[in-house]
Amino acid sequence: MATTILTPKAALIDLTKCIGCRGCQVACKNWNARATKKTVMTGNFTSPGDMNSETYTIVKYIEHDKAQDVAWDFIKVQCMHCKNPACASACPVGAFTKTAAGPVTYEPEKCIGCRYCMMACPFGVPKYEWDKKYPVVQKCTFCAERIADGQMPACVKSCPPNAIIFGDYDRILAEAEQRIKDHPGLYIDHIYGKNEAGGTSWMYLSSTAFDTIGFKTNIPTKPLPDLTWGMLREIPYKVGGLVAVLAAIAYFRNRGSRVESDKEKEG
Amino acid sequence: MTNHWVDLKNADVILVMGSNPAENHPISMKWMMRAREKGAKLIVVDPRFTRTAAKADIYAPLRSGTDIAFLGGMIKYIMDNSLYFKEYVVNYTNASFMVNPEFKGPADLNGLFSGYDAKTRKYDKKTWSYQIDEKSGVPKKDPTLKDPHCVFQLMRRHYARYTPDLVSSITGAPTDTLIEVYKTYGSTGKPNRVGTECYAMGWTQHTVGTQNIRAMSIIQLLLGNIGMAGGGINAMRGESNVQGSTDFGLLFDVLPGYVPVPSAALPDLKAYNEKYTPKTKEPKSVNWWGNRPKYITSYLKAIYGSNATKENDFGYEWLPKIDEGMNASWLMLFDQMYKEKFEGFFAWGQNPACSGANANKVRKGLAKLKWMVNVNLFDNETGSFWRGPGQNPKDVQTEVFMLPCCSSVEKEGSISNSGRWAQWRYKAIPPLAESKPDAEIMNELYFRVKKLYQTKGGKFPAPIVNLTWNYGEMDKDGKIHEVNTHLIAKEVNGYYLEDIVDAKQTPPKQLGKKGELCTNFVTLQEDGTTSCGNWIYSGSYTQKEGKVINMMARRKNTDPSGLGMFPEWSWCWPVNRRIIYNRASVNPAGQPWDAKRAVIKWNPDKLDPVTKKVVPGWDGDVPDGPAPPMADDKGKLPFIMTASGVGGIFGPGLADGPFPEHYEALECPLQENLMSKTKINPAVKIFTDKDSGAAEDIFFSCDVRYPFVATTYRVSEHWQTGVMTRHMPWLLEAVPQQFVELSVELAQEKGIKNGDKVVVKSGRGEVLAKAVVTKRFKPFRVAGSTVHQVGLPYHFGWQFPEDGSGGDSANLLTPTIGDANTMIPETKAFMVNIEKAKG
Amino acid sequence: MNETTKKVSLLSFGTLILLIFIALGVYSAVFRFTYGLGASTNLSDNVPWGLWVAFDVLAGVALAAGGFSITAAVYIFNMKKYKPIARPAILTAFIGYSVVLIGLVIDIGQPLRFWHPLVMWQHRSVMFEVVWCITLYSTVLALEFAPAVLERLKLDFLLKILKFFTYPLIIAGIVLSFLHQSSLGGFFLIMPTRLTNLWYSPNMPYLFYVSAIAGGLAMVSFESIVSAWAFKRKQETDIISGLGKGTAITLLIYLVLKIADLAYRGALPLAFDGSTAGRMFLFEVGLGFVVPMILLFLRPVRESVGGVLFSACLVIAGLFLNRFNTNFFAQLGNGVTYFPTWREIGVTLGLIALGVFLYRLAVLYLPVLHEAETEH
Ligand SMILES: Nc1nc2c(c(=O)[nH]1)N[C@H]1C(S)=C(S)[C@@H](COP(=O)(O)OP(=O)(O)OC[C@H]3O[C@@H](n4cnc5c(=O)[nH]c(N)nc54)[C@H](O)[C@@H]3O)O[C@H]1N2
Ligand SMILES: Nc1nc2c(c(=O)[nH]1)N[C@H]1C(S)=C(S)[C@@H](COP(=O)(O)OP(=O)(O)OC[C@H]3O[C@@H](n4cnc5c(=O)[nH]c(N)nc54)[C@H](O)[C@@H]3O)O[C@H]1N2
Ligand code: SF4
Ligand code: SF4
Ligand code: SF4
Ligand code: SF4
Ligand code: SF4
Ligand SMILES: [Mo]
Repeated sequence: MATTILTPKAALIDLTKCIGCRGCQVACKNWNARATKKTVMTGNFTSPGDMNSETYTIVKYIEHDKAQDVAWDFIKVQCMHCKNPACASACPVGAFTKTAAGPVTYEPEKCIGCRYCMMACPFGVPKYEWDKKYPVVQKCTFCAERIADGQMPACVKSCPPNAIIFGDYDRILAEAEQRIKDHPGLYIDHIYGKNEAGGTSWMYLSSTAFDTIGFKTNIPTKPLPDLTWGMLREIPYKVGGLVAVLAAIAYFRNRGSRVESDKEKEG
Repeated sequence: MTNHWVDLKNADVILVMGSNPAENHPISMKWMMRAREKGAKLIVVDPRFTRTAAKADIYAPLRSGTDIAFLGGMIKYIMDNSLYFKEYVVNYTNASFMVNPEFKGPADLNGLFSGYDAKTRKYDKKTWSYQIDEKSGVPKKDPTLKDPHCVFQLMRRHYARYTPDLVSSITGAPTDTLIEVYKTYGSTGKPNRVGTECYAMGWTQHTVGTQNIRAMSIIQLLLGNIGMAGGGINAMRGESNVQGSTDFGLLFDVLPGYVPVPSAALPDLKAYNEKYTPKTKEPKSVNWWGNRPKYITSYLKAIYGSNATKENDFGYEWLPKIDEGMNASWLMLFDQMYKEKFEGFFAWGQNPACSGANANKVRKGLAKLKWMVNVNLFDNETGSFWRGPGQNPKDVQTEVFMLPCCSSVEKEGSISNSGRWAQWRYKAIPPLAESKPDAEIMNELYFRVKKLYQTKGGKFPAPIVNLTWNYGEMDKDGKIHEVNTHLIAKEVNGYYLEDIVDAKQTPPKQLGKKGELCTNFVTLQEDGTTSCGNWIYSGSYTQKEGKVINMMARRKNTDPSGLGMFPEWSWCWPVNRRIIYNRASVNPAGQPWDAKRAVIKWNPDKLDPVTKKVVPGWDGDVPDGPAPPMADDKGKLPFIMTASGVGGIFGPGLADGPFPEHYEALECPLQENLMSKTKINPAVKIFTDKDSGAAEDIFFSCDVRYPFVATTYRVSEHWQTGVMTRHMPWLLEAVPQQFVELSVELAQEKGIKNGDKVVVKSGRGEVLAKAVVTKRFKPFRVAGSTVHQVGLPYHFGWQFPEDGSGGDSANLLTPTIGDANTMIPETKAFMVNIEKAKG
Repeated sequence: MNETTKKVSLLSFGTLILLIFIALGVYSAVFRFTYGLGASTNLSDNVPWGLWVAFDVLAGVALAAGGFSITAAVYIFNMKKYKPIARPAILTAFIGYSVVLIGLVIDIGQPLRFWHPLVMWQHRSVMFEVVWCITLYSTVLALEFAPAVLERLKLDFLLKILKFFTYPLIIAGIVLSFLHQSSLGGFFLIMPTRLTNLWYSPNMPYLFYVSAIAGGLAMVSFESIVSAWAFKRKQETDIISGLGKGTAITLLIYLVLKIADLAYRGALPLAFDGSTAGRMFLFEVGLGFVVPMILLFLRPVRESVGGVLFSACLVIAGLFLNRFNTNFFAQLGNGVTYFPTWREIGVTLGLIALGVFLYRLAVLYLPVLHEAETEH
């Protein structure tokens, strides 16, 4: 690995340009040496049906009605590489790290397999090796080692129509904003991932309303870890307060006379 | 492609009809997206809503096999609304040419052109000729385009029948969508607007395949889109080097460089040259094919070397000949194989047991061979046909040899893309195990066969023993132990065998030095003093100031025009011309029709960079010949490959008529052709079970047993018969099984649910498939009733996946019938039934 | 020995049943350790937390809340009346937590790394906090229960030292319990879009805490009544009706909090929208919280052993339902289904049986109930 990259990177998927060729899905498997799981034709082209421990990214094929015609959207999904990731905050052993370059990385040697990360991730990303005896979690790595080497992720590189672009976060976000400004009729005015879950390093532009094509649109804009941290942060005060109160109560309630009289009353 | 991939970005309107680039040519979409960013409109016309359609601004459905009706309607619309580019049409096409008054068309003859002989199913093309001006010897013209016998008026009359309502009733495309497409595409008839067309197998694999393309060529000429950046008519070619394969004469009827294969009726080179060297009296015509004798001689010199002498006609006699009128294309070969007309077969880099139309007939044909050699990366359904479904290995007598060859990344050489760019590729890894590059396998074969001829003689050893085969160092037996691809590439480019001097110039100018590589085909000679393996590739491996340069290996990505021509990236035939017929992109004065898209431009003040003298010339792309613009006395017409020098709206060269006419596919859902009384293309060859003895040579049109139109196609995840992709787990995971797409309505009618296992049946066979019930396929309103269409990919075969879960080839369903001109099988339109599978 | 052992012997039909279940559990666990989680459970990427988390952890811990509730009542609030059930409650909690810990080790995908969170700190993780709390609290419980063992072994010296630390231990136990009981609800705070608003709330930690107290008290009542029967002893009606009253009050507090919380967030209508979630919610709250609360506020019910037992059962069921609902409505829907395999059920049954067995063992061989009686 050549240099330590400290400018956060980001990727933008412009769904209006995605042609559903699945180059990304296969390039990701290739680069990350992922195996396959047996699939069958189910009548939908999404295959495998969802990401899994061997599949960090899939393209979803969503058919829906549009005006008098049909519309067909292709949606590549993978880890969003949240700026403030719920998975990292959930993990009791700190197996996840949000790196300065953008990727949320994972150290399998630490993982105890509690699967809290899977529950916590708002995008349903971390997947488990259910078929292994000692499974670990798997998810898109943002090709952290490629980024560190000054390259773009494998999936981005493979994308024929340049539906995914990659670069410094600020530049990518500005580009997304610019595209909306330049083609107001084309895009809906929303950059998915700009604010969702407090902002993510992967973002989307679309001409179809995001909820129509399977995106969760109710994700809070504030970082999810704040929700639990709000509780955990207070622990020292709660402990201190509780100890004091309990000690005081115990002290007053257990003074000899009171104890006796209590006994009498209750007895 | 007349243009090239990157050039798609220069278009204002892109018509994708007869192809599905998002799935089959994904990288082309990059450039289409660039065009769209700048406001271009993408129109997709396809029987089903494809991944390309998903990106389209306008999508028009049409029933498979009705493109000519659709395009004929567009021609009518363009003419009725005067959307054509008049100056271009008058000057650069044969629209003004006066046709023989005896010529009659389908409007008069119920779907036929004059000269039809029903017995032979052939046309006598006598009346498909021009009125020749006796004085000048060139066709008479009416530049006003008003004479009823001029091409323009004949065309108007021909397409007057193609009204939107009739077209809609034939194609099933809604009238308003038709008009929207016509209007949008017709908008490119202005000098400053350009439209491009991308087609592939959706157009070619029909009995009217060639005429589909002709129809679009007419539109492009009418709208002035040929020769323009962002224009042209673009065949998105198939197998990664299929462009190279046709360039190099892989088809039965052409030698390298589209030089015709001689027939037995042409006894010597003189007769050959006479027949194939077109003549014209048109003074402004370049008539490039007038150079044919140079190319055939140089070719003979390349393959027979010093054995080819003036005295022996440069070895013309040794060239293999076909019988006059003989067709040796795919369908014919397998028909002959079925009839046991030959014993042996090399399946070299192909999988006919799955890719061949009417695969049951093909598979049975293979069993009639004595021997077969399968040269491939993997065993496949062809090599293992004897243990395939319906075959009893005990009964099969065919001896099968497998020669493992290595893949493209394990060998070096050039590959030509659709845009005619020949790009040099390097070997990335050494060949696996005992596999060998194809060239090495050929080398082995060659030396063994040669030795047999030398030692045991034979009927006609000369063609083999006289070949030059000097592609590397020889061992003591004279055998080359390793083929050097560079030497082949050099032979293709050609050498000066003597000093070449142009005596016409004063002082005489030396054009080439003996022993050096040719500069390009302009310096090739007719007298045997040059050699050249493929004239169109002359210039691909050259010598400049003594330095040898592999032009195909160039990788400089500068783009001086800004139009994406990248003149120093690889090399492109002919002579690195990125857009052919580019002289049509300028007006007769040599100025671009559209200054923003200047492909070439006449520059009267051009400075010679060396002498610093003014030598008027062209700026930009390599022009179609250095001659000054047409308006100049010495000026030339733009379409240099035609004898007339102009683009052909009237095309008398084809077997089935000078204007494209709508005929139904051999198997179709209609009792009658709504356009005329002639139902199918009258010039196609019909194969019958009586003739071949194959039960599979059977067809069902408008038959209740096979009520649904079917088509076959590809998906991005698989490659062809799937031999290279079904073994690739990542791709198989993405598209694991044979499937059939059908409309929600048809599914309902048939009680089929999404994901159900169904049987698709035709008169020739059946395949199991998983149902993909989708709104992307809609029933058509045809001739007042509902017509359903279904579609299947053709990527699967019984051999792999081993558990049989993939299914078998869609070609078990397709008929043995081909295009009237090319004989490409009609695998895009035939009739089937579909039922839920039991169990 | 003590009175109990005279009346009841370890070997009985009941014990046999327990042993069979334990054997089933052991077999299931061995299978799980041999073939992995995927092979032995119906867990999936869509349902990463199943029966074991819902029952063994979420519900199990909550039901063991009786431990700290009773010690708080007895030692902090000085409600001496409940002293007799303090030790059994502590025992229940200790066994409960031990079983939970075993369950956790079975449930995590890397059982050999169960110690990682103790070494690899990630203090922003609720799971980290819970693991620590449970570990510490189990230690506290062990120490709280140690006197029973020490008495039995007659190690007075150690007993004295422990006695000295009674209050710090009790307070530590209560604090730790508060922390992790609420944090079990805190788990879900990070999943605002997974849960429906019927269960999701920023106040989940408090709701979990209060409901755990109710559940814990119900569990203590249940256990007192049932063990009195089992060990053929007199029912302590006074204590039981006291517990019933406590449970009722806690339930009231819980319901007030829950309804106020729902109303404040505008989520109340969700309960009546006819959805599966809505129906499950009404069922859970109605049967598990409202009905037992009403029953226990009725004096005659509260003062009958059967009434308290019945109500306690309802509360326990309600608590289960609540934890199940929370966990599964965080995952199901959109065609995602889950039903545990018999091996998952086997482990769970085995763990319950193990708990009961250990309790029985402890009661038979250690001064658990005995001590209570002598002090009375
Ligand atoms: N991924 C992938 N790419 C490939 C290949 C591959 O196997 N896989 N093969 C390569 C090869 S060899 C070739 S030749 C090209 C072929 O490239 P294409 O011609 O693009 O390939 P197809 O999918 O056969 O057909 C294209 C479309 O034609 C439509 N079609 C069917 N009938 C008609 C009709 O009557 N009219 C019109 N307008 N459309 C019709 C089909 O629905 C289909 O969407 O692709 C090349 N690229
Ligand atoms: N129904 C239907 N049938 C069709 C079509 C259709 O659209 N529908 N399309 C038609 C078209 S356009 C085409 S091009 C044909 C294709 O038909 P085929 O060419 O018969 O089919 P492929 O599967 O491409 O077979 C190519 C073989 O070459 C092997 N190969 C790869 N690289 C090399 C190499 O370097 N050397 C050698 N010796 N072998 C190599 C591969 O393993 C593969 O088996 O199918 C046609 N058949
Ligand atoms: S998307 Fe999920 S897995 Fe990825 S960083 Fe965010 S929370 Fe973690
Ligand atoms: S499963 Fe592993 S990575 Fe996920 S939260 Fe638990 S310990 Fe961390
Ligand atoms: S960033 Fe890397 S790991 Fe993530 S989806 Fe793309 S290729 Fe796969
Ligand atoms: S590679 Fe690009 S265009 Fe293809 S499916 Fe992936 S994102 Fe879409
Ligand atoms: S498959 Fe290969 S040739 Fe085809 S578009 Fe992709 S990169 Fe280009
Ligand atoms: Mo092809």
